[in-house]
Amino acid sequence: MIEHDVVCPFCGCLCDDLEIETEGGRIVKVQNGCALAESTFMNDVRLPAPIRRTETGWEDISYQEAIKETAEILQGADRPLLYGWSSTHGEAQSVGVHIAELIGAVIDNTSTVCHGPSILAIQEVGHPGCTLGQVKNRADVIIYWGCNPVEAHPRHMSRYTTYATGFFVPDAQRERTVIVVDTRRTDTAGIADEFVQIEHGGDYAVLSALRAIVRGKASVIPAKVAGVSKEQLIRIAEICKTAKFGAIFFGLGLTMSRGKYKNIRNAIELTDELNRYTKFVISPLRGHGNVYGSNEVFTWMTGYPFAVDFARGIAFYNPGETTAVDILRRGECDAALIVASDPGANFPRAAAAHLAKIPTIVIDPHVNATTALSRIHIPCTAAGIDAAGTAYRMDGVPIRLKKVIDRGYPDDAEILKKIYDHLNGGKGP
Amino acid sequence: MTELWVKNACVIDPIRGINGEIMDIAIRDGRIVESVSDRADVIDAQRCLTLPGGIDSHTHVSGTKVNFGRYMSPEDMRAGRTKRKGKMHVTSGYYVPTTFGNSYRYSAMGYTTLLEGAMAPLEARHTHEEFTATPHQDMMANTLFDGNWAVMDAVREKDVRKTAAVVAWTLKAARGYGIKLTNPGGTEAWGWGEDLTGIHDMVPHFAVTPAEIITTMIRANELLKLPHSVHLHCNNLGKPGNYQTTLETFELVPDLNAARQTLYATHVQFHAYGGGTWKNICSKAEEITRSVNSKPQIVMDMGQIMFGRTMTMTADGPMEFNLHCLHNNKWSNHDVELETGSGIIPVTYSKKSAVNCIMWAIGLELALLTKNPYQCLLETDNPNGAPFVKYPEVIGLLMSKRYRDEECATLAAGVEQRTSLCALEREMDWHDIAVMTRAGQAKALGIGSQGKGHLGVGAEADIAIYPIRTDSVDPAREYRKVVEGFQKTRYTIKRGRVVSRDGEIIVDGANATFWVDAKVPEDLKMENDPEFIKRFEQFYTVRMSNYPVQDVYLPRGRRIETEVFT
Amino acid sequence: MRVILESKVRAKPNLPIEAEAIIPRNFLKGTDLVVYEGNKERTLSELFWIFVEGTAVAPENIEVILKGDTSRIKRVGEYMDTGSIVIEGDIGMHCGNFMSGGTIEIRGNADSWLGREMRGGTILCRGNAGHYCATGYRGEKKGMQGGKVEVSGNTGDFCAEYLAGGTVHIHGSAGDFPGVEMRGGELIIEGDATRPCGNMKSGTCVILGTVHDMLPTFEKIERRVLPAWKITADVYRGDVANRGKGTLCVRC
Repeated sequence: MIEHDVVCPFCGCLCDDLEIETEGGRIVKVQNGCALAESTFMNDVRLPAPIRRTETGWEDISYQEAIKETAEILQGADRPLLYGWSSTHGEAQSVGVHIAELIGAVIDNTSTVCHGPSILAIQEVGHPGCTLGQVKNRADVIIYWGCNPVEAHPRHMSRYTTYATGFFVPDAQRERTVIVVDTRRTDTAGIADEFVQIEHGGDYAVLSALRAIVRGKASVIPAKVAGVSKEQLIRIAEICKTAKFGAIFFGLGLTMSRGKYKNIRNAIELTDELNRYTKFVISPLRGHGNVYGSNEVFTWMTGYPFAVDFARGIAFYNPGETTAVDILRRGECDAALIVASDPGANFPRAAAAHLAKIPTIVIDPHVNATTALSRIHIPCTAAGIDAAGTAYRMDGVPIRLKKVIDRGYPDDAEILKKIYDHLNGGKGP
Repeated sequence: MTELWVKNACVIDPIRGINGEIMDIAIRDGRIVESVSDRADVIDAQRCLTLPGGIDSHTHVSGTKVNFGRYMSPEDMRAGRTKRKGKMHVTSGYYVPTTFGNSYRYSAMGYTTLLEGAMAPLEARHTHEEFTATPHQDMMANTLFDGNWAVMDAVREKDVRKTAAVVAWTLKAARGYGIKLTNPGGTEAWGWGEDLTGIHDMVPHFAVTPAEIITTMIRANELLKLPHSVHLHCNNLGKPGNYQTTLETFELVPDLNAARQTLYATHVQFHAYGGGTWKNICSKAEEITRSVNSKPQIVMDMGQIMFGRTMTMTADGPMEFNLHCLHNNKWSNHDVELETGSGIIPVTYSKKSAVNCIMWAIGLELALLTKNPYQCLLETDNPNGAPFVKYPEVIGLLMSKRYRDEECATLAAGVEQRTSLCALEREMDWHDIAVMTRAGQAKALGIGSQGKGHLGVGAEADIAIYPIRTDSVDPAREYRKVVEGFQKTRYTIKRGRVVSRDGEIIVDGANATFWVDAKVPEDLKMENDPEFIKRFEQFYTVRMSNYPVQDVYLPRGRRIETEVFT
Repeated sequence: MRVILESKVRAKPNLPIEAEAIIPRNFLKGTDLVVYEGNKERTLSELFWIFVEGTAVAPENIEVILKGDTSRIKRVGEYMDTGSIVIEGDIGMHCGNFMSGGTIEIRGNADSWLGREMRGGTILCRGNAGHYCATGYRGEKKGMQGGKVEVSGNTGDFCAEYLAGGTVHIHGSAGDFPGVEMRGGELIIEGDATRPCGNMKSGTCVILGTVHDMLPTFEKIERRVLPAWKITADVYRGDVANRGKGTLCVRC
């Protein structure tokens, strides 16, 4: 059987044109997807059943038992942490928030280690953006800053930017100017019309200089800024100002390098300045398939996109204080529930090490590095493979993930609802 | 079977011609009935003011833009925080509260039905997700068509039937309620960083004008027999001198529908400015209301501003950017491919600003100068003019000349010279307010037949009982009692259940979402139109099959089917 | 009156305590105050040994002294308007939030957000201060608006971000981006600083030590003697990336 227009849940592009062939409840072929998509659907090795750590290894336990013990651990905690959420659907994220408010937990998503700084910047200056189709149909200047879509978002350029045929850009490759800004010559830099190589940690200074040049203050700028010549900066500013429609995409090279959210803020303010001359937009290249969805769900339920602390009953937010990495690094939390993510692999060592010291429960379809730090691991469906649900694309477009096959696992939203019921004396959210 | 008996209610129900009668209301299984058995629960209203549940016919509470307003405003979120309590979830925020915050506060004020003012079809799923998390009000979504490419193509071809077909397909796909045009044509121009300056400007690349879009959409709307009329946010919002554009637009509107208006013009306060700069801006409310008073085919809402901090959010992207260049605070913009735009910036309306004071006066003037209250409905374009929690103050101002005068005395100079507010003696009565906050909305939105906005037998039992005794309060003098009374109902009854008592939510919500399934002849169905499909697949970034909102997003969806046209 | 609060040994010493109740004014009515440990509500006496010496009729005569391990106690002195607090050791985050009057002395180090959104009064930190010393809240346009924060040691990053009024005096060095988004007030750094005053709009910053990675968008106006500091300094105007009219003085 071939299912058409399937959505790939892997990255924030949420490409929705995959063809998936199934045979006897197994996926046998993936078409239209990139290598990452293919691996998502084809190399989907699951943990068969819930497991609990023993003194010598692991034992299988029933879902019922696993759920009950999870609830008891969370109930007894003074500072529980609920972390992850970005690779599952909105329905599970929503139950997660209800659990957090019920037990006075901190709930955080993987923005903490990816685009949290972008969110902080947006909270300072806003976000001039658009849906990806605007870029595809109109943009004649594309800037990739601190990101490498060739590797991390392989179809971004063919679906939305460089190579995509747009209504007002029928001959994309000829009509679009591509600028790549990075500290090293990446694969993406290879296809750029203009490559700007910045010294490590110099993004902020370069962005400030560009803003000043756009504002007509080039005279203040020295001959070289963070390794970039003034001539090149002036040339870039000119390309941007004379664009019909320009789009900046940025990645972790900008959010996670020195200065973090101030880099993003500076890039947004450059975009803002350019809008006084032409049309310009800016967007983060979001990593996990539904990380933007976790920001959306958290926001309409709690008011904040990530790092929400319910310890005092009300929702409190202060990244640096209420973010998962910081709470773990300070050794604050005394129990953790990790859903649809792998902090064991992505967190700084000190933060991950604390997870091993406290009772940590993992709800995830796959065995991952966090499993090794955990006390209980409960397997569940994978959103977009054997569970349907809502995901938000990196530009905010909500898309329904499809259920392609049935592998007999319970949905993580169902598991979470049962945990909630336990915590709430049998009453649902 | 559940039964409720509300006795001793002082009912004002304008649609049924009831004005302050003491009567009893019988409710069974969510609807109003002739009588109930003696096993019914009883509420003694103690002769308090009892109205059909409030209806907001233009508010921004759900969807991409609203949520982005929250996302970018942690500073506002700390302004209205409440803990989880009983059936109430945690809430945050003052001018852009969380969904639960919106729902609880509206409910406390007696509001039971809301129309989300702007939903981009591509992002409709998001709006519906938030609707389910706004549990105590029935919801509807105005669907944006202002920059819709397929619509503009059909308009250029002067093809009303094709325009109607695109609207029908899109409304169904988005599970939307009615047609919303926000700065028609202007949002497409904003795709290039441009705007239009009048209704006869050409939209770049599309060779249509706003006037053509508006008139064709009005005809398509009536051809489809949609319950609501075209809902228009005029071009040139917020620009000094824009009243000309507004008057020109009103002149375009024929009278095509006996049951309701043909055009709903929203937040007209923002469209009633004279002068040519911010320095000489003045009120043109008299000109605007003169036009509306002579045109029963037009209904407007106030777009009242109230002083304080709030957030402006609209699909009108270019307007927001202009505003941003004045304020230099944060600015978000979100253009939606082939459809529309949007912008968000925070603002503070200050009594020290002459411009803000004039804006404040214009909203009130519009209401006071409109003879028929069914033609000027009460709202603040929440949260653009003010958060909806300010409605009781607006009511107080409309009912009391003294309150207006006291406020005017605290304002920057200019109001007296550049508006006529101080000269207006009119004080609205309870009946006027009931029209402007429920009966008028029900009629304008065409939901009277769905049992909304009145308390006749068969109506949905959405009822607000306010702690106000109309026989003992003089609103002209005791306006503070009026304001307080409208802030918190004694009981808000939603579909026959008491959901809110003295401001506290006591049950889990079970709202419904109304949407319109407009029928078109078989040969006009867009899903069979190869050219439409081809263009869709080429220029959208989602597949056409993934675009329509699935039924699972409307757990209590209420489909309104229209008759097919020929 | 003197109130001495000595922290008790806790089973989970890393759990944060939130204690905005600890301000001098509150002790006028006794010591029956509520604080929070993790997600639990506690009485003050569950977490502290409490000693009260003398009496007071007015809050300005109340001195609160914190002893023991106080490094995880947040929000001490929040909304304080008068009186004094002395912390003998280290203090947790958000000490002196929204403070409008009185004095806080920290003999050890202060964690992040010391004096956040402060309006008035004085904070003296004898050790080092963490990140975001004398700043504002996420998304808010104004940080500290008045009063004085003095740190004898160093501070972390983003010191005096969004400073809008008052004085911040760092005797040691500041980390990355001190004075970023500044729009008023005065920031003095006697030691070194990295990328000072990015995107500043207004206000004055004086740096006596070495500036690392000076931003390219500051316009050198003049070289001037600053009598108050007995130095000669290069005076810059910026940040020209925006319409900034701030003053940055760097010793030459």
